[in-house]
Amino acid sequence: MAADATHVAIAHDSDIVEARRKGRELAQRIGFAGSELTIIATAISEIARNIVVYADRGEISLSEADNGGRRGIVVVARDEGPGIPDIERAMRDGYSTGNSLGLGLPGARRLMDDFEIMSTVGQGTIVTMRKWKR
Amino acid sequence: MLDQQSLRSSQFSLDDADIERRKIIVDLAAEDISRITTLKGVIAQEGDRYTEDFFRYLRDLGEAPALFGRRDALAEAKRRKREHLTALTNGVYDQTYVDQRAALALLYSRYGLETRAFLGAFHHLLRALGGDIMKRFPDDPNGAFQRFMSVKKVAFFDIGIITDVLTSERERTISQQQEAIRELSTPVLQVRDGLLILPIIGMIDSLRAKQLTDSLLRAIRANRARMVVMDITGVAAVDSKVANHLIQTVAAARLMGSTVIITGLSADVAQALVALGVDLGKITTTADLQGGLEEAERLLGYRVVRSAEAPGQRLSA
Repeated sequence: MAADATHVAIAHDSDIVEARRKGRELAQRIGFAGSELTIIATAISEIARNIVVYADRGEISLSEADNGGRRGIVVVARDEGPGIPDIERAMRDGYSTGNSLGLGLPGARRLMDDFEIMSTVGQGTIVTMRKWKR
Repeated sequence: MLDQQSLRSSQFSLDDADIERRKIIVDLAAEDISRITTLKGVIAQEGDRYTEDFFRYLRDLGEAPALFGRRDALAEAKRRKREHLTALTNGVYDQTYVDQRAALALLYSRYGLETRAFLGAFHHLLRALGGDIMKRFPDDPNGAFQRFMSVKKVAFFDIGIITDVLTSERERTISQQQEAIRELSTPVLQVRDGLLILPIIGMIDSLRAKQLTDSLLRAIRANRARMVVMDITGVAAVDSKVANHLIQTVAAARLMGSTVIITGLSADVAQALVALGVDLGKITTTADLQGGLEEAERLLGYRVVRSAEAPGQRLSA
Protein backbone atom coordinates (compact mmCIF):
# COMPACT_ATOMS: atom_id res chain seq x y z
CA MET A 1 0.00 0.00 0.00
CA ALA A 2 1.32 3.40 -0.96
CA ALA A 3 2.29 5.61 1.95
CA ASP A 4 0.09 8.47 0.77
CA ALA A 5 -3.11 6.47 0.68
CA THR A 6 -6.29 8.17 1.87
CA HIS A 7 -8.32 6.13 4.32
CA VAL A 8 -12.00 6.54 4.93
CA ALA A 9 -13.64 4.66 7.79
CA ILE A 10 -16.97 3.22 6.70
CA ALA A 11 -19.80 2.60 9.14
CA HIS A 12 -22.78 4.71 8.07
CA ASP A 13 -24.46 5.80 4.88
CA SER A 14 -22.91 9.24 5.24
CA ASP A 15 -19.44 7.64 5.12
CA ILE A 16 -20.27 6.28 1.67
CA VAL A 17 -20.76 9.82 0.42
CA GLU A 18 -17.46 10.81 2.03
CA ALA A 19 -15.62 7.91 0.36
CA ARG A 20 -17.11 8.83 -2.99
CA ARG A 21 -16.10 12.45 -2.58
CA LYS A 22 -12.52 11.59 -1.59
CA GLY A 23 -12.27 9.08 -4.44
CA ARG A 24 -13.52 11.62 -6.91
CA GLU A 25 -11.03 14.22 -5.69
CA LEU A 26 -8.12 11.82 -5.97
CA ALA A 27 -9.23 10.63 -9.41
CA GLN A 28 -9.38 14.24 -10.52
CA ARG A 29 -5.84 14.90 -9.24
CA ILE A 30 -4.62 11.82 -11.09
CA GLY A 31 -6.12 13.20 -14.26
CA PHE A 32 -9.44 11.43 -14.74
CA ALA A 33 -12.22 13.58 -16.11
CA GLY A 34 -15.90 13.70 -16.98
CA SER A 35 -17.88 10.51 -16.84
CA GLU A 36 -14.87 8.53 -15.61
CA LEU A 37 -15.04 10.46 -12.35
CA THR A 38 -18.67 9.49 -11.86
CA ILE A 39 -17.90 5.89 -12.78
CA ILE A 40 -15.10 5.67 -10.21
CA ALA A 41 -17.26 7.36 -7.58
CA THR A 42 -20.12 4.97 -8.29
CA ALA A 43 -17.87 1.89 -8.01
CA ILE A 44 -16.59 3.19 -4.65
CA SER A 45 -20.18 3.75 -3.61
CA GLU A 46 -21.11 0.14 -4.42
CA ILE A 47 -18.32 -1.50 -2.45
CA ALA A 48 -18.66 0.96 0.44
CA ARG A 49 -22.37 0.18 0.51
CA ASN A 50 -21.55 -3.52 0.74
CA ILE A 51 -19.46 -2.84 3.84
CA VAL A 52 -22.30 -0.94 5.53
CA VAL A 53 -24.91 -3.56 4.64
CA TYR A 54 -22.98 -6.77 5.27
CA ALA A 55 -20.02 -6.02 7.54
CA ASP A 56 -21.26 -3.03 9.61
CA ARG A 57 -17.87 -1.35 9.47
CA GLY A 58 -14.69 -1.32 7.47
CA GLU A 59 -12.39 0.96 5.59
CA ILE A 60 -11.82 2.23 2.08
CA SER A 61 -8.27 3.13 1.05
CA LEU A 62 -7.66 5.24 -2.00
CA SER A 63 -4.30 5.69 -3.66
CA GLU A 64 -2.60 6.36 -6.92
CA ALA A 65 -1.45 3.44 -9.05
CA ASP A 66 1.46 3.50 -11.46
CA ASN A 67 2.00 0.66 -13.88
CA GLY A 68 5.13 1.51 -15.84
CA GLY A 69 4.07 5.03 -16.71
CA ARG A 70 0.37 4.31 -16.87
CA ARG A 71 -1.46 6.11 -14.11
CA GLY A 72 -4.57 5.05 -12.36
CA ILE A 73 -6.44 4.83 -9.10
CA VAL A 74 -6.50 1.91 -6.65
CA VAL A 75 -9.44 1.45 -4.35
CA VAL A 76 -9.18 -1.11 -1.57
CA ALA A 77 -12.18 -1.97 0.60
CA ARG A 78 -11.44 -3.91 3.77
CA ASP A 79 -13.78 -5.26 6.35
CA GLU A 80 -13.78 -7.81 9.12
CA GLY A 81 -17.31 -8.85 8.45
CA PRO A 82 -18.81 -12.31 7.98
CA GLY A 83 -17.07 -12.88 4.64
CA ILE A 84 -18.64 -14.19 1.45
CA PRO A 85 -19.19 -17.99 1.36
CA ASP A 86 -19.70 -18.21 -2.39
CA ILE A 87 -17.80 -15.51 -4.24
CA GLU A 88 -18.73 -16.81 -7.66
CA ARG A 89 -22.36 -16.44 -6.80
CA ALA A 90 -21.91 -13.03 -5.20
CA MET A 91 -20.28 -11.84 -8.43
CA ARG A 92 -23.35 -12.87 -10.43
CA ASP A 93 -25.84 -10.16 -11.44
CA GLY A 94 -28.99 -10.07 -9.41
CA TYR A 95 -27.75 -12.26 -6.59
CA SER A 96 -28.30 -10.64 -3.24
CA THR A 97 -28.77 -11.75 0.33
CA GLY A 98 -29.41 -8.16 1.37
CA ASN A 99 -32.69 -7.21 -0.34
CA SER A 100 -31.07 -5.15 -3.08
CA LEU A 101 -30.72 -5.26 -6.83
CA GLY A 102 -27.70 -7.53 -6.43
CA LEU A 103 -25.58 -5.35 -8.66
CA GLY A 104 -23.03 -4.12 -6.15
CA LEU A 105 -20.03 -6.38 -6.75
CA PRO A 106 -20.63 -7.36 -10.40
CA GLY A 107 -21.56 -3.77 -11.17
CA ALA A 108 -18.40 -2.41 -9.56
CA ARG A 109 -16.38 -4.94 -11.56
CA ARG A 110 -17.92 -3.68 -14.79
CA LEU A 111 -17.23 -0.08 -13.85
CA MET A 112 -13.53 -0.63 -13.11
CA ASP A 113 -10.66 -2.14 -15.13
CA ASP A 114 -9.26 -4.58 -12.57
CA PHE A 115 -11.22 -6.20 -9.82
CA GLU A 116 -10.03 -8.70 -7.21
CA ILE A 117 -11.90 -10.05 -4.27
CA MET A 118 -10.57 -12.10 -1.38
CA SER A 119 -12.90 -13.29 1.29
CA THR A 120 -12.64 -15.69 4.20
CA VAL A 121 -15.79 -16.71 5.98
CA GLY A 122 -15.71 -15.41 9.54
CA GLN A 123 -12.73 -13.17 8.86
CA GLY A 124 -13.67 -10.60 6.33
CA THR A 125 -13.41 -9.40 2.79
CA ILE A 126 -10.90 -7.38 0.80
CA VAL A 127 -11.89 -5.93 -2.54
CA THR A 128 -9.16 -4.34 -4.65
CA MET A 129 -10.09 -2.49 -7.80
CA ARG A 130 -8.22 -0.29 -10.23
CA LYS A 131 -9.09 2.05 -13.02
CA TRP A 132 -6.42 3.12 -15.51
CA LYS A 133 -6.29 6.35 -17.40
CA ARG A 134 -7.04 5.99 -21.10
CA MET B 1 -41.18 21.23 33.11
CA LEU B 2 -38.97 20.39 36.02
CA ASP B 3 -40.81 17.28 37.07
CA GLN B 4 -39.01 14.01 37.69
CA GLN B 5 -40.32 12.58 34.45
CA SER B 6 -38.71 15.15 32.19
CA LEU B 7 -35.44 14.97 34.05
CA ARG B 8 -35.28 11.24 33.54
CA SER B 9 -35.89 11.49 29.82
CA SER B 10 -32.16 11.47 29.12
CA GLN B 11 -30.87 8.51 27.13
CA PHE B 12 -28.12 8.22 29.69
CA SER B 13 -28.09 5.16 31.90
CA LEU B 14 -25.43 3.00 33.45
CA ASP B 15 -25.65 -0.56 34.69
CA ASP B 16 -23.82 -1.85 37.75
CA ALA B 17 -20.88 -3.10 35.69
CA ASP B 18 -20.48 0.35 34.08
CA ILE B 19 -20.50 1.96 37.50
CA GLU B 20 -17.89 -0.43 38.86
CA ARG B 21 -15.76 0.19 35.79
CA ARG B 22 -15.96 3.93 36.33
CA LYS B 23 -14.86 3.51 39.94
CA ILE B 24 -11.83 1.56 38.76
CA ILE B 25 -11.07 4.27 36.21
CA VAL B 26 -10.85 6.94 38.93
CA ASP B 27 -9.14 4.46 41.30
CA LEU B 28 -11.87 4.71 43.92
CA ALA B 29 -11.34 1.99 46.52
CA ALA B 30 -12.77 0.94 49.90
CA GLU B 31 -10.19 2.94 51.89
CA ASP B 32 -11.21 6.07 49.98
CA ILE B 33 -14.80 5.55 50.99
CA SER B 34 -13.95 5.18 54.67
CA ARG B 35 -11.91 8.39 54.48
CA ILE B 36 -14.67 10.27 52.66
CA THR B 37 -17.36 9.34 55.17
CA THR B 38 -15.37 11.11 57.91
CA LEU B 39 -16.18 14.34 56.04
CA LYS B 40 -19.97 14.20 56.48
CA GLY B 41 -19.68 16.82 59.21
CA VAL B 42 -17.93 19.28 56.92
CA ILE B 43 -20.71 19.03 54.39
CA ALA B 44 -23.44 19.23 57.00
CA GLN B 45 -21.88 22.44 58.23
CA GLU B 46 -20.73 24.05 54.99
CA GLY B 47 -22.87 22.39 52.28
CA ASP B 48 -25.32 25.29 51.95
CA ARG B 49 -22.49 27.77 51.58
CA TYR B 50 -20.74 25.62 48.93
CA THR B 51 -23.97 25.39 46.98
CA GLU B 52 -24.56 29.14 47.06
CA ASP B 53 -20.91 29.77 46.14
CA PHE B 54 -21.07 27.37 43.22
CA PHE B 55 -23.94 29.22 41.59
CA ARG B 56 -22.68 32.66 42.54
CA TYR B 57 -19.36 31.83 40.89
CA LEU B 58 -21.17 30.97 37.66
CA ARG B 59 -23.39 34.03 37.82
CA ASP B 60 -20.45 36.35 38.43
CA LEU B 61 -18.79 34.88 35.36
CA GLY B 62 -21.92 35.57 33.34
CA GLU B 63 -22.29 31.87 32.49
CA ALA B 64 -25.61 30.06 31.91
CA PRO B 65 -27.78 33.20 31.90
CA ALA B 66 -30.81 31.05 31.06
CA LEU B 67 -30.44 29.24 34.37
CA PHE B 68 -30.33 32.48 36.37
CA GLY B 69 -33.27 33.86 34.45
CA ARG B 70 -35.50 31.06 35.65
CA ARG B 71 -36.19 31.08 39.36
CA ASP B 72 -37.75 27.61 39.47
CA ALA B 73 -34.90 26.08 37.46
CA LEU B 74 -32.29 27.72 39.65
CA ALA B 75 -34.04 26.53 42.82
CA GLU B 76 -34.17 23.02 41.41
CA ALA B 77 -30.49 23.12 40.44
CA LYS B 78 -29.52 24.35 43.91
CA ARG B 79 -31.60 21.67 45.60
CA ARG B 80 -29.93 19.01 43.48
CA LYS B 81 -26.48 20.45 44.02
CA ARG B 82 -27.02 20.40 47.79
CA GLU B 83 -28.30 16.81 47.53
CA HIS B 84 -25.17 16.01 45.56
CA LEU B 85 -22.88 17.33 48.29
CA THR B 86 -24.57 15.20 50.93
CA ALA B 87 -24.42 12.13 48.69
CA LEU B 88 -20.78 12.88 47.89
CA THR B 89 -19.73 12.16 51.48
CA ASN B 90 -22.23 9.37 52.15
CA GLY B 91 -19.95 6.83 50.54
CA VAL B 92 -22.57 5.08 48.42
CA TYR B 93 -22.01 5.50 44.69
CA ASP B 94 -24.71 3.34 43.14
CA GLN B 95 -27.44 3.61 40.50
CA THR B 96 -29.37 6.16 42.54
CA TYR B 97 -26.26 8.30 42.94
CA VAL B 98 -25.55 8.12 39.20
CA ASP B 99 -29.17 8.92 38.31
CA GLN B 100 -29.07 11.97 40.56
CA ARG B 101 -25.88 13.20 38.90
CA ALA B 102 -27.37 12.58 35.47
CA ALA B 103 -30.56 14.47 36.38
CA LEU B 104 -28.54 17.48 37.50
CA ALA B 105 -26.43 17.32 34.34
CA LEU B 106 -29.60 17.25 32.28
CA LEU B 107 -30.77 20.38 34.05
CA TYR B 108 -27.42 22.03 33.26
CA SER B 109 -27.73 20.99 29.65
CA ARG B 110 -31.27 22.31 29.38
CA TYR B 111 -30.31 25.71 30.73
CA GLY B 112 -27.17 26.10 28.70
CA LEU B 113 -24.44 25.55 31.27
CA GLU B 114 -21.33 24.76 29.24
CA THR B 115 -18.99 21.97 30.30
CA ARG B 116 -16.06 24.35 30.74
CA ALA B 117 -18.09 26.64 32.99
CA PHE B 118 -19.34 23.71 35.06
CA LEU B 119 -15.75 22.49 35.46
CA GLY B 120 -14.60 25.91 36.61
CA ALA B 121 -17.35 26.23 39.21
CA PHE B 122 -16.94 22.66 40.42
CA HIS B 123 -13.23 23.19 40.84
CA HIS B 124 -13.97 26.36 42.78
CA LEU B 125 -16.21 24.32 45.09
CA LEU B 126 -13.57 21.64 45.56
CA ARG B 127 -10.96 24.24 46.46
CA ALA B 128 -13.23 25.59 49.20
CA LEU B 129 -13.92 22.07 50.43
CA GLY B 130 -10.20 21.24 50.40
CA GLY B 131 -9.42 24.32 52.45
CA ASP B 132 -12.05 23.41 55.03
CA ILE B 133 -10.82 19.81 55.29
CA MET B 134 -7.30 21.06 56.00
CA LYS B 135 -8.67 23.37 58.72
CA ARG B 136 -10.71 20.58 60.29
CA PHE B 137 -7.69 18.34 60.83
CA PRO B 138 -4.99 20.86 61.82
CA ASP B 139 -2.90 18.24 63.64
CA ASP B 140 -3.01 15.74 60.80
CA PRO B 141 -2.23 17.56 57.54
CA ASN B 142 -1.25 14.30 55.89
CA GLY B 143 -4.55 12.63 56.81
CA ALA B 144 -6.47 15.71 55.69
CA PHE B 145 -4.68 15.64 52.36
CA GLN B 146 -5.46 11.91 51.96
CA ARG B 147 -9.12 12.60 52.65
CA PHE B 148 -9.21 15.38 50.11
CA MET B 149 -7.58 13.18 47.46
CA SER B 150 -10.24 10.53 48.09
CA VAL B 151 -13.02 13.10 47.67
CA LYS B 152 -11.35 14.19 44.46
CA LYS B 153 -11.69 10.68 43.07
CA VAL B 154 -15.45 10.84 43.55
CA ALA B 155 -15.44 14.34 42.08
CA PHE B 156 -13.81 12.98 38.94
CA PHE B 157 -16.24 10.08 38.92
CA ASP B 158 -19.01 12.73 38.91
CA ILE B 159 -17.33 14.81 36.23
CA GLY B 160 -17.21 11.70 34.05
CA ILE B 161 -20.97 11.29 34.37
CA ILE B 162 -21.77 14.96 33.92
CA THR B 163 -19.64 15.43 30.82
CA ASP B 164 -21.06 12.23 29.31
CA VAL B 165 -24.61 13.48 29.83
CA LEU B 166 -23.78 16.90 28.41
CA THR B 167 -22.18 15.28 25.36
CA SER B 168 -24.98 12.81 24.78
CA GLU B 169 -27.56 15.58 25.10
CA ARG B 170 -25.69 17.54 22.48
CA GLU B 171 -25.61 14.53 20.18
CA ARG B 172 -29.30 14.03 20.76
CA THR B 173 -29.97 17.62 19.75
CA ILE B 174 -27.90 17.15 16.60
CA SER B 175 -29.73 14.00 15.61
CA GLN B 176 -33.10 15.68 16.25
CA GLN B 177 -32.04 18.55 14.03
CA GLN B 178 -30.92 16.15 11.33
CA GLU B 179 -34.30 14.52 11.54
CA ALA B 180 -35.97 17.92 11.18
CA ILE B 181 -33.81 18.77 8.17
CA ARG B 182 -34.76 15.47 6.60
CA GLU B 183 -38.45 16.17 7.01
CA LEU B 184 -38.04 19.68 5.67
CA SER B 185 -36.03 18.54 2.69
CA THR B 186 -38.70 16.36 1.12
CA PRO B 187 -41.38 18.80 0.05
CA VAL B 188 -44.08 17.60 -2.33
CA LEU B 189 -45.50 20.51 -4.29
CA GLN B 190 -48.55 20.75 -6.48
CA VAL B 191 -47.82 22.54 -9.76
CA ARG B 192 -51.25 22.21 -11.25
CA ASP B 193 -54.28 20.04 -10.90
CA GLY B 194 -53.15 16.43 -10.83
CA LEU B 195 -49.44 17.25 -11.15
CA LEU B 196 -46.97 17.07 -8.28
CA ILE B 197 -43.32 17.93 -8.19
CA LEU B 198 -40.89 16.34 -5.78
CA PRO B 199 -37.43 17.91 -5.75
CA ILE B 200 -34.94 15.73 -3.92
CA ILE B 201 -31.78 17.27 -2.53
CA GLY B 202 -28.98 15.61 -0.61
CA MET B 203 -28.40 12.01 0.29
CA ILE B 204 -30.90 9.22 -0.14
CA ASP B 205 -30.46 6.51 2.47
CA SER B 206 -32.98 3.85 3.39
CA LEU B 207 -34.67 5.99 6.04
CA ARG B 208 -34.95 9.01 3.79
CA ALA B 209 -36.19 6.87 0.91
CA LYS B 210 -38.95 5.57 3.14
CA GLN B 211 -39.95 9.08 4.30
CA LEU B 212 -39.86 10.24 0.72
CA THR B 213 -42.12 7.44 -0.46
CA ASP B 214 -44.47 8.03 2.48
CA SER B 215 -44.86 11.74 1.87
CA LEU B 216 -45.21 11.25 -1.88
CA LEU B 217 -47.92 8.63 -1.53
CA ARG B 218 -49.78 10.79 0.97
CA ALA B 219 -49.57 13.77 -1.39
CA ILE B 220 -50.72 11.68 -4.34
CA ARG B 221 -53.81 10.68 -2.39
CA ALA B 222 -54.49 14.16 -1.00
CA ASN B 223 -54.12 15.88 -4.36
CA ARG B 224 -55.50 13.06 -6.50
CA ALA B 225 -52.35 13.40 -8.55
CA ARG B 226 -51.94 11.49 -11.78
CA MET B 227 -48.45 12.69 -12.62
CA VAL B 228 -45.40 13.22 -10.45
CA VAL B 229 -42.16 14.82 -11.57
CA MET B 230 -39.32 13.70 -9.31
CA ASP B 231 -36.21 15.82 -9.77
CA ILE B 232 -32.95 14.26 -8.63
CA THR B 233 -30.56 16.98 -9.84
CA GLY B 234 -29.56 17.63 -6.23
CA VAL B 235 -29.00 14.03 -5.14
CA ALA B 236 -25.46 13.70 -3.87
CA ALA B 237 -24.69 10.14 -4.86
CA VAL B 238 -26.62 7.90 -7.20
CA ASP B 239 -25.65 4.24 -7.09
CA SER B 240 -27.51 0.96 -7.40
CA LYS B 241 -29.00 1.25 -3.91
CA VAL B 242 -30.32 4.73 -4.57
CA ALA B 243 -31.59 3.61 -7.98
CA ASN B 244 -33.36 0.72 -6.26
CA HIS B 245 -35.05 3.13 -3.86
CA LEU B 246 -36.20 5.28 -6.78
CA ILE B 247 -37.52 2.25 -8.64
CA GLN B 248 -39.52 1.18 -5.59
CA THR B 249 -40.91 4.68 -5.03
CA VAL B 250 -41.99 4.81 -8.67
CA ALA B 251 -43.61 1.38 -8.39
CA ALA B 252 -45.50 2.41 -5.24
CA ALA B 253 -46.73 5.60 -6.92
CA ARG B 254 -47.87 3.56 -9.91
CA LEU B 255 -49.96 1.37 -7.59
CA MET B 256 -51.64 4.57 -6.43
CA GLY B 257 -52.50 5.35 -10.04
CA SER B 258 -49.84 7.95 -10.59
CA THR B 259 -47.09 8.06 -13.20
CA VAL B 260 -43.67 9.27 -12.15
CA ILE B 261 -41.21 11.03 -14.42
CA ILE B 262 -37.67 11.26 -13.09
CA THR B 263 -35.70 14.30 -14.13
CA GLY B 264 -32.20 15.56 -13.54
CA LEU B 265 -30.29 12.37 -14.18
CA SER B 266 -26.95 13.63 -15.45
CA ALA B 267 -25.25 12.08 -18.47
CA ASP B 268 -22.42 10.77 -16.28
CA VAL B 269 -24.75 9.17 -13.78
CA ALA B 270 -26.78 7.64 -16.60
CA GLN B 271 -23.64 6.03 -18.02
CA ALA B 272 -22.56 4.75 -14.64
CA LEU B 273 -25.99 3.25 -13.93
CA VAL B 274 -26.04 1.49 -17.28
CA ALA B 275 -22.55 0.10 -16.66
CA LEU B 276 -23.67 -1.05 -13.23
CA GLY B 277 -26.50 -2.92 -14.87
CA VAL B 278 -29.40 -1.04 -13.29
CA ASP B 279 -32.56 -1.56 -15.33
CA LEU B 280 -34.37 1.75 -15.52
CA GLY B 281 -36.44 0.51 -18.45
CA LYS B 282 -39.71 0.80 -16.57
CA ILE B 283 -39.05 4.37 -15.55
CA THR B 284 -39.80 7.44 -17.60
CA THR B 285 -36.95 9.91 -17.47
CA THR B 286 -36.23 13.23 -19.04
CA ALA B 287 -32.93 15.07 -18.97
CA ASP B 288 -34.09 18.15 -17.11
CA LEU B 289 -36.93 19.45 -14.96
CA GLN B 290 -38.38 21.59 -17.74
CA GLY B 291 -38.60 18.61 -20.08
CA GLY B 292 -40.22 16.57 -17.32
CA LEU B 293 -42.87 19.21 -16.60
CA GLU B 294 -43.64 19.60 -20.30
CA GLU B 295 -43.97 15.86 -20.73
CA ALA B 296 -46.21 15.58 -17.66
CA GLU B 297 -48.44 18.42 -18.84
CA ARG B 298 -48.68 16.87 -22.28
CA LEU B 299 -49.72 13.54 -20.75
CA LEU B 300 -52.33 15.31 -18.62
CA GLY B 301 -53.71 17.04 -21.72
CA TYR B 302 -52.45 20.54 -20.96
CA ARG B 303 -51.07 22.70 -23.70
CA VAL B 304 -48.98 25.69 -22.74
CA VAL B 305 -49.44 28.57 -25.20
CA ARG B 306 -47.63 31.87 -25.06
CA SER B 307 -50.03 34.78 -24.71
CA ALA B 308 -50.13 37.21 -27.66
CA GLU B 309 -49.86 40.08 -25.19
CA ALA B 310 -46.60 38.83 -23.69
CA PRO B 311 -43.86 41.46 -24.00
CA GLY B 312 -41.51 38.84 -25.47
CA GLN B 313 -43.95 38.23 -28.27
CA ARG B 314 -44.28 41.90 -29.15
CA LEU B 315 -40.54 42.44 -29.21
CA SER B 316 -39.96 39.59 -31.60
CA ALA B 317 -42.85 40.61 -33.86
